[in-house]
Amino acid sequence: MKCPLCGREAEGELCAYHAAAKGAVEAAYPRWARAFGRIDWKDYLDSVKRNPQTGQWAKEIAEFLRG
Amino acid sequence: MPRGAPGVGSGHTLVICEKPDAARRVSEALSGGAYRSELVDGTTAYRFSRGGEDFVVCSAQGHVYGVSDPSDERTVYPVFDVEWYSSDLVDKDSAGAARRISAIKKLAAGASRFVNACDFDVEGETIGYNVLRYACGGKEEEALRAKFSTLTEEDLVQAFGDLKPQGTKGLALAGRARHAIDFVWGVNLSRALSQAALGSGHRYRTVSVGRVQGPTLGFLVQREREIREFVPVPHWKVSGVFERDGRKFTAGYSVDRVETKAAAEGVRDDCAGREATAKSVRRSLAQVGPPVPFSVGDLQKEAYRAFGYTPSRTLQMAERLYLGALISYPRTGSQKLPASINYRNILAGVGRIPEYSAHAAEILKAEPRPVQGSKSDPAHPAIHPTGDRPRRALDASEANVFDLVVKRFLAAFGPSARRELVDVALAVGEHEFRLAGGRTVFPGWMKYYGRYAGYRDVELPPVSEGDRFRVVEVRVEERFEQRPPRYNQSSLLEKMEKEGIGTKATRADIIATLVGRGYVAGEGMEVTELGFSVVETMARYAPSIISTQLTRGIEKELEAVEGGAGGEAALMRETVRSLARQLADLNANEEAVGKEIDSAQMTTAAKSSVLGRCPVCRTGELRMIRSRKTKKRFVGCSNYASGCRASAPLPQRGVVRTTSKECERCRWPVVYILGTGRPWRLCVNPDCPGRKRR
Repeated sequence: MKCPLCGREAEGELCAYHAAAKGAVEAAYPRWARAFGRIDWKDYLDSVKRNPQTGQWAKEIAEFLRG
Repeated sequence: MPRGAPGVGSGHTLVICEKPDAARRVSEALSGGAYRSELVDGTTAYRFSRGGEDFVVCSAQGHVYGVSDPSDERTVYPVFDVEWYSSDLVDKDSAGAARRISAIKKLAAGASRFVNACDFDVEGETIGYNVLRYACGGKEEEALRAKFSTLTEEDLVQAFGDLKPQGTKGLALAGRARHAIDFVWGVNLSRALSQAALGSGHRYRTVSVGRVQGPTLGFLVQREREIREFVPVPHWKVSGVFERDGRKFTAGYSVDRVETKAAAEGVRDDCAGREATAKSVRRSLAQVGPPVPFSVGDLQKEAYRAFGYTPSRTLQMAERLYLGALISYPRTGSQKLPASINYRNILAGVGRIPEYSAHAAEILKAEPRPVQGSKSDPAHPAIHPTGDRPRRALDASEANVFDLVVKRFLAAFGPSARRELVDVALAVGEHEFRLAGGRTVFPGWMKYYGRYAGYRDVELPPVSEGDRFRVVEVRVEERFEQRPPRYNQSSLLEKMEKEGIGTKATRADIIATLVGRGYVAGEGMEVTELGFSVVETMARYAPSIISTQLTRGIEKELEAVEGGAGGEAALMRETVRSLARQLADLNANEEAVGKEIDSAQMTTAAKSSVLGRCPVCRTGELRMIRSRKTKKRFVGCSNYASGCRASAPLPQRGVVRTTSKECERCRWPVVYILGTGRPWRLCVNPDCPGRKRR
C-alpha cells in the first residue's frame, strides 16, 4: 500500500513519516485549544497549515485531515 | 635559486616532506637559501649541504599510495583483501603519483640516511611511512623523524638539529588501518547499493555509504524528520513600555512565555492606566574570561560564525597559511599554547605587522601568559600565528582567516573583560517586568579580539529603587515555537565532534561528500529523497552501517592503535566480520533495496530540476530543461503545453543548485551556480531589474 501523500510504502493508511506527523498534529491540538481557550478542529488545521513554522509533512497532514 | 642538472648522487640524507611548499621551506631554512633545485621525473627536488652533509629534499605531494582491491573487477563484492598501490591506480584524481614515486625511488637510491618530515599527525605519518616502506626500499624502521609545528626557519632548524628515531609507528599503523577499514567499508557498501539500484533501475549512479558518512547522514535525517513533523504551539510574549522624566523604555514581562492568550491579555488589562515601581535594582559586575586558543574545530566554527566559511574552506585557507609559514599546523585538536612556542618571539613578530603592533606591544609590557583550553593534542599546539609577516598579498579569505587566528592568539593573552550588568524589576500590582542592560566597563581581551568578540552594550537610564514610572502601554504578541534549525556545515561538524565520529582531518571532507553525492541540497543542508532513502534502507536492512556506536567504537580502537597499543590486525578482522554480516543482509534483500534507492534517485533528480513556481502563469513550475537539439540547458515552464512561454537561459558551465528562494525584486527563482570558482547566486530572470543594476 502506498502513502496517499508521498507515494512511500505505507503499512497502514500512511507512510511512517506522515503517520508520525499525524501524531504530532493530533497531539498539538489540545495545547492549541488550551492556549486559545477553545479552537475548532477545522480552524486549528487551517492555522497549522498556514503557519510558516509548521513542517512540510505536518502541513500535508493538516490539509489531508481537513479534506 | 639555480636549477641544476638532474642527478641522483649518493651518501646523502633524503628528506621526505608532505607537500612541495614544505619541501621548499625546509630547504630554504636548512641551507640558508643556498640550495639547488632540480627536476627528477617532473618532481622538484632540492639539494644543499649543511654541516658537511649532503641533503636532498623532496615531497610526496600527499598520499602517493592508496588502498585498493587486488582484483580488477569493479562491480564484484564483497572485497575483504586490500593492498597498497600507487595512488594513480586507485584514484583518478591522483594522476602523477607514479611519476613522483619513480622520482623518490631515484633519489632514495644511494641515500645513506632518511628523514620523515611529513606533517606530524596520522595522515602525515601514514604518507611518510608508505613512502619509506615502498619507495625507499623498506626504510620505515630506520628513518629519523623531524617534528615541527610551524614552517618557520627557527622551528625547522631546531627540528632537524634534534632528529628522533621514527618512534611514532602507532600513528602510521593507525592511519593505514583507518584507510584499509574505510576502503573495505566504502567499497563493499557502495558496490552493494549501486548494483542493487542498477539491477532494478534506470542508470548507474554511485550510491555510497562510508563508515562515518552513514551515521552523519543519520544525524541529518533525524533532524530533517523533526523539522518536517514539527507543529508549532502558540504562546504569548508580553512587554511593557514605561515612561519616566519624558524618557520611554521597554521591559519584558517576568514570565518569558505566557502559555495562554487569556493570561497574556489579563496582564495587559491589569496594568492598563497604572503606575510601575522599581522594586529592585541589581547591579553586578561579571568577569568574562578570554576565549581559549583555537583547535581546528574551534577555528572552523568561528570562521563560519564570522565569515560564513564552510569548514572545508576554512581548513583550506588555514593550510595555505601554514605552508606560507604564517600560522602553525592547523589540523590540531589542541586548545593549549605551551611556553615552548616562545610567546615573546611570536608576539614580537606579530607586533611588526602594523594592524597588530599596538596590541602586541601592550601584551609584551608584562610577562605574557595565555589562557589554556581543556583539549590537548600530543602532536601539535593550538593554532597560532608564527610571527612571520606575509611575503605575498593574501587573498580576501586567507586574510580573514589569518586575522582571526592572530586576534584569537592575542585575545588569549588578554585579561578577563568586565561587564556591568543591570537588572531592574518593575512592579505593576502583582505583575513584574524586567529590564536588563549591560555594558563593557573593562574590555580586557575583547579589545584584542576586536569585531569577533561579539558583545553589545545595552545602556539603561539611571534608576533607583522606589522610582515610579507611568505605564504607557502593555503589548501582547502572539508567538509560535520555532522548529528545530537545520544543521549547517559548522553545527554538523560540532555534532560529529561531540559524537566522536570522524577525525579532525576528515570531518569537513565527509560533509562535502554528503553534498556531492546529492544526499543533502541547498544552503540549509536539506536532506533529499535519496538521502532519506539511503538511511531508511540501511536502517531496515543493515542498521549497524548508520550506527554511531559502531563507528565510535572503531574510532576508539584506532586511537588505541595511535597510542602504540597495537591491535590493528584484530580490529580489521572484527570490522570485516561485522561488515560481512551486514552485507549478507543487504544481499538477501537486493531487489527491495534496489527499488527503494532507484525510486529515490528518480525523485531527487526530478526535484532538483524544479527551480520554483512560475511567476508568469503562477500555476506551473519553472524547470531546468536540456534542449534535445542544442544540448544546452535553459529554464522553461511546466505549463508550456498550456501556453505559458516563460523561459530563461542558464549558464552552461557549473552545477545549478536550487535554493527554494525567490528573487526579492522579480519573484523569479534564485539558483546557486557551483563549480565555476566561488559559488554565486543568480536570479534566473534575464530581465530582472536587479541584474540590470549590476
